[in-house]
Amino acid sequence: MLPETMHIPDGYLSPSTCVSLAAAAAPFWYVALKRVKSALHARLIPLISLFAAFSFVIMMFNLPLPGGTTGHAVGMGVASIVLGPWASILAISIALTIQAVFFGDGGITAIGANCFNMAIVGSLVGYATYRMAAWRAGLGSARRVVAAGLAGYTAINVAALCAAIEFGIQPLLFRDASGAPLYAPYPLRIAIPAMMIGHLTLAGLAELVISSGMVAYLQRTDPGLLRLTAPNAPASDEPIRAAGDAMRLPTGRKLWLALAALLILTPLGILAVGSAWGEWSARDFSDPQARREIAAASHNQAPPPAAPRGLERLSSVWTAPLSRYAPSFIRGASFGYLVSAMVGVGLIIALALLLNWVLARLPAGAGRRRRKSFVEKTARGLLEATGQALFAEDMAATGGFLQRLDPRVKLIGIGALIAAAVAVHRLWVLAGILALGVALALASHIPMRLLAARVWLAVLAFTGAIALPAIFLTPGAAVWRLPLVEWQVTQQGLRSAGFLILRAETAATLSMLLILTTLWTRLLRALRYFRAPVVVVAILGMTYRYMFLFLATARDMFESRESRMVGVLEPADRRRMAAASAGVLLGKTLQVSGEVHLAMQARGFRGEIRLLDELQMRPNDWLRLAAFVGAATLAVWLGR
Amino acid sequence: MTELAFDVRDVSYRYNQVAALGGLSMQVKRGERVALLGANGSGKSTLLRLLAGLCFPDRGEISFLGESLTEQRLQDEEFFFGFRRRVGLVFQNADVQLFSPSVFDELAFGPLQLRWPAQKIRERVGEVLRSMDIAHLQDRAPHRLSGGEKKRVALASVLVLDPEVLLLDEPSGALDPSSQARIVDFLVSCGNGSKTVIIATHDLDTLEDIADRCYVFANGRMAGEGTPLEVLHNVELLERAKLIRPHAHVHAHGEGAVQPHPHVHRHEGG
Repeated sequence: MLPETMHIPDGYLSPSTCVSLAAAAAPFWYVALKRVKSALHARLIPLISLFAAFSFVIMMFNLPLPGGTTGHAVGMGVASIVLGPWASILAISIALTIQAVFFGDGGITAIGANCFNMAIVGSLVGYATYRMAAWRAGLGSARRVVAAGLAGYTAINVAALCAAIEFGIQPLLFRDASGAPLYAPYPLRIAIPAMMIGHLTLAGLAELVISSGMVAYLQRTDPGLLRLTAPNAPASDEPIRAAGDAMRLPTGRKLWLALAALLILTPLGILAVGSAWGEWSARDFSDPQARREIAAASHNQAPPPAAPRGLERLSSVWTAPLSRYAPSFIRGASFGYLVSAMVGVGLIIALALLLNWVLARLPAGAGRRRRKSFVEKTARGLLEATGQALFAEDMAATGGFLQRLDPRVKLIGIGALIAAAVAVHRLWVLAGILALGVALALASHIPMRLLAARVWLAVLAFTGAIALPAIFLTPGAAVWRLPLVEWQVTQQGLRSAGFLILRAETAATLSMLLILTTLWTRLLRALRYFRAPVVVVAILGMTYRYMFLFLATARDMFESRESRMVGVLEPADRRRMAAASAGVLLGKTLQVSGEVHLAMQARGFRGEIRLLDELQMRPNDWLRLAAFVGAATLAVWLGR
Repeated sequence: MTELAFDVRDVSYRYNQVAALGGLSMQVKRGERVALLGANGSGKSTLLRLLAGLCFPDRGEISFLGESLTEQRLQDEEFFFGFRRRVGLVFQNADVQLFSPSVFDELAFGPLQLRWPAQKIRERVGEVLRSMDIAHLQDRAPHRLSGGEKKRVALASVLVLDPEVLLLDEPSGALDPSSQARIVDFLVSCGNGSKTVIIATHDLDTLEDIADRCYVFANGRMAGEGTPLEVLHNVELLERAKLIRPHAHVHAHGEGAVQPHPHVHRHEGG
């Protein structure tokens, strides 16, 4: 259970959690937009758009990590260092929105949550860490490279912790009549270690590599770009190392040492933040004082009176091996968490190394597929993304039922159905919404094979893997025992797994319908009709447009490297190459964004974007809209 | 028609501590078609950006229709909109110029920023879409356009404002022959004095058709000027500006018959 990215899908969080997080994100977006709108920052509009496109493409890079694994980065570290925290919030939010709306990566109802975790918390933490760690170091100093790596690592991990907490409070707060969790089924004690182990290692390392690599690249090419977030640096730009100097990236051994240091420091940092979320023990649920605190911290929803039995059982498993022999301070919950996190991380690393060792010794050929190089994998991923987007555009241009619908009706209508799918508390109603989605797909000539492969199987593989352990871990009435190990399958566990999978499938099917039947340009105009800020619409449009340019640029880069590659690259060389490619792309991003700004100015742009409002709603459109909203309301009422 | 559109006096401009233009002077009359010839990096693009009021000289002065063109002057809203309406720049890289989600939006961008009323914008955009023969592309996204189509849309996005002065940076660079011919046809049609056209190019083939006068650039300075015919026959000047390259090759008439002689070579791309 190691999610490769931390994009929360639909169906994992309750509607109230989604709304709360979107509301928490709103003031940050508001301030960020205010800052961008002021005429002095006119060049920020193209810069943010292109940076969002850049980070979108960067998220598709397979970064080679020690131990033969690869990972994906989000890029919030780089964004907050180059753009500053506010513009970074916008750029990453836009990139996440486009990912959710166009590639089904992250849920539509969870956009607020994902933006809160990655764009807002990630940017702010990344920026603060970078400023503090770099302090007054010169723009070209090695300390800035280290600080950037630290910023990326910390940012992704704090963001992951936020996501873990959001997951972890779901089973405490949201259960159906039988006591089965309605959303993410695991309590904090499981959710936090499960999320953090993956991020303290792979994802954190990917972020570290990309952040430090980018800053090293900028130091060599255009150190002035680091000035924005380094007001304390010496005024005179000291000479940067001669060009042609190989990019200073840590070698495998140094990366391991850095990781080890960070692993020890990070849990300490989490503990230092306070007793808040992760430290709830099963005992807190019976203590009235603690209950009030939890309720206050959970938007005034009272937690269940009795501690969930699974939580109790697991907390004992977690601290068991140590507690009998350890002195009292070690028996504390905090220390237990720290040690278990480190033990867990150590186990994962050992497992990765073992797997790599075994794979390296397996005989090649003999029907076994050659392991694809990261260059090949990334090039293929980039090509697939372009292909998917183009396919969606082609599909949207055909004349099916949904394709002919007014984009505003579709946006609200399908949005309402997705919200209903997330809100209902009955499995059969959920199944009904899914059936409606399939019927709509048939009416819109969307091939079922495509839905099966790209949605149903993909979601089943991901969410199924996450839901499976819940069948055993959720406390409740046993319906069956697994022979030999005597694990009991509970009725509540089955229901909970059913909710998670069916919700994720339904929401993903509906989002896919929206993606495959709506032309982007028309969607943008629909957004204008709903009075979305002009700046946001303009940035979204520009991001989507340049995403294609950067996807093509990155693909060319990887393909030309692939064609010149002879033999197997050393791990350090692979990392250097990935960082160099990202660096070239960053250089291009900044150059193109400067030119785009000039091109906009040349046609009269003065910092305030103007767009044409079009599209009038016809009576028929209102009728269809009413049908969609009616169906969604009915579903919510039936499934309450 | 002797009024000056642009008067450039002793202009210097540095870009990232490197001199891009050094003490350059040039005059362009209203209704004239002028070609700026020079190899890559000779300062043509920089000059076009200075003329379009996107950057400003470190030394020297540029005036447009007798009025000095400075950063301060362009802060004035009325002057800014008036200037943008009358002077259009088509960038060399069409990917930079096409930043809107669709071709229609691209054409509407300029008029919208200049605050034209919506109805007038729709009419004018439709008109230009038809005259440039791109009406069928109006809902296309830029990533769905071919190289030639992109260039035409980029040109149309500027023409929609019907500017008096058209600044073009390598308008026919890296295009297939038929797309190139369309652009050239358009430039030929500007030859009646209706528009002032300044084209940066290193395409010597079409020079006579698209320009009345040429300025030859070398290393950010003016190396010479004249009519297209005068310039094309000045082999020494073209060589100095690195627009042609003398080279020697063996003609197969007997042993060692090496005959050095100048050839006109076109340099594409950039």
